[in-house]
Amino acid sequence: MTKILVIDDDNALREMVGIVLENAGYQSVFCADGAQAMPIFNQEKPDLVLLDVMLPGEDGVSVCKKIRVDSGVPIIMLTARGETEDVVQGLEAGADDYIVKPFQPNELTARVKARLRPLTDSGANVINIGPLVLDIEGHEVKRGDSSISLTPLEFKLLYTLASKPNLVFSREMLLDQVWEYDYKADTRLVNVHVQRLRAKIEDDPDNPKIVTTVRGIGYRAGSG
Amino acid sequence: MTVLLSAIATFSLGGVMSFTLADGLYESRLETALEDTSTAVNTVNRTLAGAAVSDETTLQTLLNSLVPTLEEAGSRKVALLRSPGQPQLQLLQSPVSADLDFELIPDDLREAVRDGGNQLSYKPIELVEEDSAIPGLIVGAPVDVPLAGQFELYLVFDLQASQLTLNYVQQVVTIGGVILLVIIAFVSYFVTRRVVKPVLKAAEVSEEFAKGDLDRRMSEKGEDAVSTLARSLNRMARNLQQQIDQLDQLSKMQQRFVSDVSHELRTPMTTIKLAGEVIFARREDLDPSLKRSAELLHDQISRFEQLLADLLEISRYDAKSVTPDIEKADLNGVVGRAIASIEPLAQSKQVDMQIDLPNGPVEVEIDPKRIERLLRNLLANAAEHGQSRPIKIAVASDGHASAVSVSDQGDGMDQEQLEQVFDRFWRADPARQRSVGGTGLGLAISMEDARLHNGWLEVWSEKGVGTTFRLTLPVKSGYRLTDSPLPLEPTEEPA
Repeated sequence: MTKILVIDDDNALREMVGIVLENAGYQSVFCADGAQAMPIFNQEKPDLVLLDVMLPGEDGVSVCKKIRVDSGVPIIMLTARGETEDVVQGLEAGADDYIVKPFQPNELTARVKARLRPLTDSGANVINIGPLVLDIEGHEVKRGDSSISLTPLEFKLLYTLASKPNLVFSREMLLDQVWEYDYKADTRLVNVHVQRLRAKIEDDPDNPKIVTTVRGIGYRAGSG
Repeated sequence: MTVLLSAIATFSLGGVMSFTLADGLYESRLETALEDTSTAVNTVNRTLAGAAVSDETTLQTLLNSLVPTLEEAGSRKVALLRSPGQPQLQLLQSPVSADLDFELIPDDLREAVRDGGNQLSYKPIELVEEDSAIPGLIVGAPVDVPLAGQFELYLVFDLQASQLTLNYVQQVVTIGGVILLVIIAFVSYFVTRRVVKPVLKAAEVSEEFAKGDLDRRMSEKGEDAVSTLARSLNRMARNLQQQIDQLDQLSKMQQRFVSDVSHELRTPMTTIKLAGEVIFARREDLDPSLKRSAELLHDQISRFEQLLADLLEISRYDAKSVTPDIEKADLNGVVGRAIASIEPLAQSKQVDMQIDLPNGPVEVEIDPKRIERLLRNLLANAAEHGQSRPIKIAVASDGHASAVSVSDQGDGMDQEQLEQVFDRFWRADPARQRSVGGTGLGLAISMEDARLHNGWLEVWSEKGVGTTFRLTLPVKSGYRLTDSPLPLEPTEEPA
């Protein structure tokens, strides 16, 4: 059963989120204190983390960074303030997505489902993109013999771009295909994650060769 | 100016002084001259009386010898002239000082002496000495010479010494006046520096205050009126600054409060909403009264959430902490999205939407999310009040402005209602049953949104005819609106 760690200091909300997740068929484990987050995370090994930004003990952004040190587990931030710096900070710390309170149950489950959905099979097992080799089934990216560690979201982003090389993807298209938003969402999600992806796969992230920016339109993969 | 006035005063004073002095000097010189002349007359009379004069030659000798005794070297010359028109002893000569030109003695003075009895007569004259004119004074008196008849004794006084004194005094007065003027100039310069400068400075600083720069301060040195002015101006600025800081503080507290309320309310709101949704999703399993409760709960949670969001939005506007995300957008697209989102409500109300969009994109610099929200709000109002009659939506643009108008053919409003339509929590008809559960803040926020874009949100309405809202936006965010490309009042009779 898919296990979701809910890290939030509000008892009622934590329990309610748990109920919603269980109704949707997930198992929930809980944590109320930022300082307790890492021990519980390491012990429970959840498949996805719902992380409140404002936490006692240790704030959500810092917890997010710690999880990202050696785990690519999907992280969705819960934020009470949609417009502030919190969102960007959370995304830069490695969060895959965020939900603004108050949210609907189906909004929550849709976000969770999107992050847990396996890659849709494109038929090919291996995609070559520049100096990189994507092993679709093995969820692995290799440059020569050395393996590059990507989070599932980053892998999906690179895979989406690489599966149609030289097609320019607008940010809206990427939000739709990678994040599974069917309405206009925050394009900062795309910007931040393209930067994180480049930092891992490019020789010089400031002068990208694999995932390039097409000014005014979006991104594409490939040397074209 | 000060120097000019001082100059006039100084020179008037100098003039009066030298005039008075000259007058005084002349008077005193005249007095001495008259006394001297009296003495001389007495001397002459005594000498003549005391001498035994027997013949003309002796008399002539005596008269000749008298003149030098009365002379005074350099300053006094003497003439003893025989009065004309006497019959006796025509031969006698009139002795005169060696260097005296007796032509100098004016005839009118001689007549005055002859007619004046024993009186002394005098007259100021000009003496010529070495080609330059010097002031002089002639005093004359009649003298009776035994045997020879009447003579006139004239003493000619040289007033050059007095003139020199006067010149010297005038020179001193002039130099003194000039020095005084220089001193006055310096004094007024320093007084100006000390008094006028601070006043000018005060004027300058108070102008800065008026412009809003309350950090400026004046120098408070000294105990005079100017420093008192400086102190009170500075105090005023400090007080104003404090008031502003206080208001600033209050505004920050208000913003902080709004932000805290936002956060503190959103967490329980999220829980309530999740719980309400979970119950609502299972309402079919519940008995009828519980089911209805779940539905009411669900609806009112939505309404409460909207109210909370609107309240937060309006307090952000009140705290002036709203900054628009301006980007180039196609107004047609924004209108289209707003129409699409209102479609379910329009369908439930059986309202037809007649849309008149120009061909091609209508580019405007706007915050698309806010404008879409504004239009959604206008459309929802129109659907709500439109009596199921068609709503007309029009978009138009010229070089400077773009406009959207939303017209319904509903009940319309009277003048009093029109004036209140943008007021907070005002409802057209409180008794009216509402299906969209508006918060009463919608149009107030719409108005703020329009203002944020330097745009206009206007309303036209007529009872029984309908209502039109028109939003006019500048094409570029910096433009000032002067006109709208769409009419506000309907141009044709509604069907």
